[in-house]
Amino acid sequence: MVENRTIKTAQLKVGMEIHVELSTRSKMFSRSANVAHPDHYDATPNTLVDPVVLGLPGALPVMNRAAIESSIMVGLALNCSIAEFSRWDRKNYFYPDLPKGYQISQYDLPLCFDGELEFIGANGQPQTVSIIRAHLEEDTGKLSHDISCRHGSMHVNALNQSLIDLNRAGTPLLEIVTHPDLKYADDAVIFCQELRNVCRFLNVTGGIMQRGHMRFEPNVNVIITTDEGKQIATPIVEVKNLNSFKAVKGAIEHEFNRQIKQWQETGLEMGAGMKSTRGWDADRGVTVLQREKEDAHDYRYFPDPDLPPVVVTEEWKQSIATCIPELPQQRRRRYVDEYNLTDADALTLTTDFDVSNYFESCIDMLQQRTTSDMTAAHMGKTVAKLLLNAGARRANEHHRELHDLGVTPEQIAQLIEMREANTIGSSAADELFDLLCEHDADATTLAESCGLLQVTDSAQLDSWIAQALEAEPEAAANYAGGKDNALGRIIGTIMKLSNGKADAKSASDQIRRQLRDN
Amino acid sequence: MSLIDLSAAELVAQLRRGDVSSVDVTQAFLNRIAAVDKTINAFLRVDADRALAAATKIDERRARGDSLGLLAGLPVAVKDVLCIVDEPTTCASRMLERFAPPYDATVVAKLRSADAVFIGRTNMDEFAMGSSGENSAFGPTRNPWDTERITGGSSSGSAAAVAARMAPAAIGSDTGGSIRQPAGLCGITGLKPTYGRVSRYGLVAFASSLDQVGPMARSAEDAALLLEAIAGHDPLDSTSLDRPAEKYSETVSRPLEKLRLGVAKEHFGEGLDGEVAAAVREAIRVYESLGATVEEISLPHSRYAVATYYIIAPCEASSNLARYDGAHYGHRTDEKAMLAELDTERKALVAVGKKEAADDLDSPLVRMYRQSRSEAFGSEVKRRIMLGTYALSAGYYDAYYLKALKVRRLIRQDYDEAFAKVDLIIGPVTATPAYKIGEKADDPLAMYLDDVYTVSANLAGCCGIAFPCGQSTGNLPIGIQLQGSPLDEDKLLRAANMYQQTTKLHSSTPPV
Repeated sequence: MVENRTIKTAQLKVGMEIHVELSTRSKMFSRSANVAHPDHYDATPNTLVDPVVLGLPGALPVMNRAAIESSIMVGLALNCSIAEFSRWDRKNYFYPDLPKGYQISQYDLPLCFDGELEFIGANGQPQTVSIIRAHLEEDTGKLSHDISCRHGSMHVNALNQSLIDLNRAGTPLLEIVTHPDLKYADDAVIFCQELRNVCRFLNVTGGIMQRGHMRFEPNVNVIITTDEGKQIATPIVEVKNLNSFKAVKGAIEHEFNRQIKQWQETGLEMGAGMKSTRGWDADRGVTVLQREKEDAHDYRYFPDPDLPPVVVTEEWKQSIATCIPELPQQRRRRYVDEYNLTDADALTLTTDFDVSNYFESCIDMLQQRTTSDMTAAHMGKTVAKLLLNAGARRANEHHRELHDLGVTPEQIAQLIEMREANTIGSSAADELFDLLCEHDADATTLAESCGLLQVTDSAQLDSWIAQALEAEPEAAANYAGGKDNALGRIIGTIMKLSNGKADAKSASDQIRRQLRDN
Repeated sequence: MSLIDLSAAELVAQLRRGDVSSVDVTQAFLNRIAAVDKTINAFLRVDADRALAAATKIDERRARGDSLGLLAGLPVAVKDVLCIVDEPTTCASRMLERFAPPYDATVVAKLRSADAVFIGRTNMDEFAMGSSGENSAFGPTRNPWDTERITGGSSSGSAAAVAARMAPAAIGSDTGGSIRQPAGLCGITGLKPTYGRVSRYGLVAFASSLDQVGPMARSAEDAALLLEAIAGHDPLDSTSLDRPAEKYSETVSRPLEKLRLGVAKEHFGEGLDGEVAAAVREAIRVYESLGATVEEISLPHSRYAVATYYIIAPCEASSNLARYDGAHYGHRTDEKAMLAELDTERKALVAVGKKEAADDLDSPLVRMYRQSRSEAFGSEVKRRIMLGTYALSAGYYDAYYLKALKVRRLIRQDYDEAFAKVDLIIGPVTATPAYKIGEKADDPLAMYLDDVYTVSANLAGCCGIAFPCGQSTGNLPIGIQLQGSPLDEDKLLRAANMYQQTTKLHSSTPPV
């Protein structure tokens, strides 16, 4: 009998494993400089090494306290419990990027466990992903197989050898593992972005995706409900080593479709030891099988006898907790509460660490400079409006982030002050924003030299009004006869005549007085 | 009296006074090595020029009136398991035959700053795995008391070098008895310090939770001098104890008053040679005559010690030795030949239609690992790697490794209870005097059982010292062992010195 494999519904189920390279000064277990620290991003291959990194005979690991503190900080930010006692285990396997033949990791006693991260899902609703654990380990080195491309001058012999770069070996790596709480690829991406954001707010990683500072490994399967109402889970697939959000989305979506198709063809369901590993082929947009279940490694974990356990006292934990800065979620709430921003605007201003910091700096600058009686709430709201309108438009046009437009927080503050003092009109302000993207000069000076300052001088204004009323007699008559909307045409003409420098409000008042008030 | 017959302490004193030069002393020992080491094979490498150059420099500095280190000008032999910068450090293995580390072990650096002269690198069981000295890839070391016999191991060369007067003192390492057992069999004094007392940084790891570096010398007084130079906290070794080194050389001559010795009934059971038992009992009487009280104690879990040790040590070794994979340093198989062979195998399988078997052949990388390791490791090393790999495998871990850790804790508790009652535990170090080379070659289990009196101290993290307490009818040394509570090295040395000052048994010299 042929099984009925008609699908009524199919629900995606995704858990994430996220590797975060910590940007500490030295490596996890040695004094060698860390390639994930900004000072060493582009170090020459195999220069960030010492006997410990090279796994030389007799070399011994010594733990990096800063890496442990960074990890605890992430753990606390993710509402994790911090283990009072955790330890180091050896994960044994052979590979040329692993000079010791084992990786020092944490197996059954991770440093952080049982946490959660809340984020705003693709549907605009808050949702929560549970964190199973976050443990520390050391990164491996890197192999380059494509020798001719990366090392053009290097001699390549007939054996088709690979080259090893151990600069990354021993970099502190925090591995965060979630429950399979995610149901949509888009949400998985937002979750990953939020996690990156949290880590960047905490300043524990550079978070540069292209440099592999964060690597994502989704565990994907699909819960299928058949026409007959039977629920079936497809075998879990782990997609390895994704280092862009695009890849995370692409790989999960592809797996969703592939697993449904595979089930329809084979009827294969999830079972013990069925997990397989796949890689992401970005060019073809497909996942590719890397390891079948039967090849599963036996890593022969055991406690590393070279390292004492990590004991975290309440005191130590508290002192780390006090170093945690305001996190994106808290910032978001504050923007809504204090600045009266909408949820959506608050989200936009907090989903990127640099943008958020830029926004904060602009407000700070305005607070420092201003002599007006603007309230803090008003300042926040005004800066947000400027950045989300004029700023966001330029950012879109230039394919840049807000903070990267070349406008300094000081210039932003000056611009807002000018608007508040009504010395510049709205369209001139917009024009000035463009100029600020290109110039380092003081905003006031720039506005002045470019003739963007508003003209409130009544003689000049009177002359433009007179010219406009003469040019638009019909509109003038209509306005005088009570048609308010006729005023727009007149003001428009005045703005044209003045090259936008006329103060529209003063002009309107003057016209009203002239045509109606007598 | 020739220079080579003087004790390390006496040589250091004479050097300090300017009675002799370091060049003279070094040359005397180099001459002795040239004369007898062809027979003994205690040294893997001796660089006479380098040693003499170092000695010359120290003499010059002394002549200038510079302040010099504790061992200034004293030749010291170093087991080939400790890294010395830019010098081969082979662990008596083909695997590291051409390996020269780019750094000094902490112990080596300490000896350097104590102004010792490195006279040569001593032979050993490969990667310190063995209790006879026969497992060296470069030939066994022969016992100076009878060159047909083993020296014990794994610090075979260090023990023989000191016994045969080729060096006044040597450095050894002890994972399950590798200092004490050859010291006992060669009639010298060897001390295994408390785990963490001496840095392991730069000591090529065998079993990390058990390994300790320690002194091997002709007397407790000499061992004290050496230990003082190498002990102390090292920030590069996370298992190093954060306690300053003690002035062992100054306190060693002070006798212990009201010394309480414990005799474990388990140490006098089946397998102990009659002559050894008698010599040990005689030594106990000597201590009693010196005012010590003797109390019977029990170490009930000591009968599990060998089994426990041979789980834990191979497990750690299997992981520690994984780094010797041919990829980064050390021996790598001839790749061209290997690839050709792989290709031939594939073609042969395809030719007879066994395509699946051809697909299942090793990848070149796996074959490189397999072949490099097969070629360069000796059989005992392979045996222990396999034992450890097996015991750590999924499904066996709990039954073997985890269980062994639990028993280890019980063994430690036995010691804690014993040391609540007595200062030191006295007993045999080996069951018999040295046996003939090759006698146990086909019986690894019998060889493992040789470690019965020594492994417990490593498992418990205690310190222990072995020294001669008599001779067999065949004129072979018989050793005795004292074990002490963690960080009681001072007591061990003082107790051994009391005995040696009374009996002078440690000054017998071998016929070689």
